[in-house]
Amino acid sequence: MVRKPSLLIVDDEPNVLLTLKLVLEEDGYQISTAGSFAEAEKLMVAVGNFDAILTDLWMEKEDIGLELARSASKLKPRPVIVIFTGYGSPGNARAALGVPVDYFALKPLDVDELKRVLNRLVVANTAERRWQS
Amino acid sequence: MSGWRGTKFALIVHPELRVLAQYQTLLSKNGVTTVVARDLPTALLAITQHYFDIAIVSSQLSEAGDGWPLAGVLHLVFPGSYIGVLVPGADLLTLQSAINSGVQDVYEITQSPQSVVRAVVAAAKLVESNKPSGHLQ
Repeated sequence: MVRKPSLLIVDDEPNVLLTLKLVLEEDGYQISTAGSFAEAEKLMVAVGNFDAILTDLWMEKEDIGLELARSASKLKPRPVIVIFTGYGSPGNARAALGVPVDYFALKPLDVDELKRVLNRLVVANTAERRWQS
Repeated sequence: MSGWRGTKFALIVHPELRVLAQYQTLLSKNGVTTVVARDLPTALLAITQHYFDIAIVSSQLSEAGDGWPLAGVLHLVFPGSYIGVLVPGADLLTLQSAINSGVQDVYEITQSPQSVVRAVVAAAKLVESNKPSGHLQ
């Protein structure tokens, strides 16, 4: 049986979290959700090995999503990292470029584009993981 | 990865010959073999014929923003390589394009080629040292 790609979605707005969960579950992903940076970090340790981590930028603190992205970028194997935000600025975008983040989306999210990009990134990342192992 | 003789290859894509010549001279001084292209078709042809460790692409080739898809293609074809894009200004949408194209960094066109090449060569060395061993890229 083919394993479903696993996603961790992190946002402090329950409506956004639920909507993304429903939309991406329908697309065949196995979803875990977290409502905060702290909860997401615990899940990354407890569950680990997510294929992709999608996080809001502003939660408990401004730009805390970048901290999560930095933690995620150190994981081996490295998951795809997506940041979405309604508070994009040249400062936080440049910081995201430095992580590096794989995709930076501005709210309101274009869900169809997010699904298309996520599929491409997860497939490419899975292929690279196989190649490396 | 570099060429089989250990030579690093760079692709520079910019519509102005004067700029291409500057970058080619500077990269050659750093031991990098440079291929230049003034337009998209020439750049695509070069991609089919060489392995590039470094690419510096203008975000504007024949019209505003048409360098971004090329940068995205370079990232897909040479995922372990360093890609920098020369931009008119590093605003939010430009930086978003950079992230979403898989680019490592952007350089404003007001920066001197000397400072861009210095930063690119240093960053490319870092990218090289972070590659997993045994990885074929």
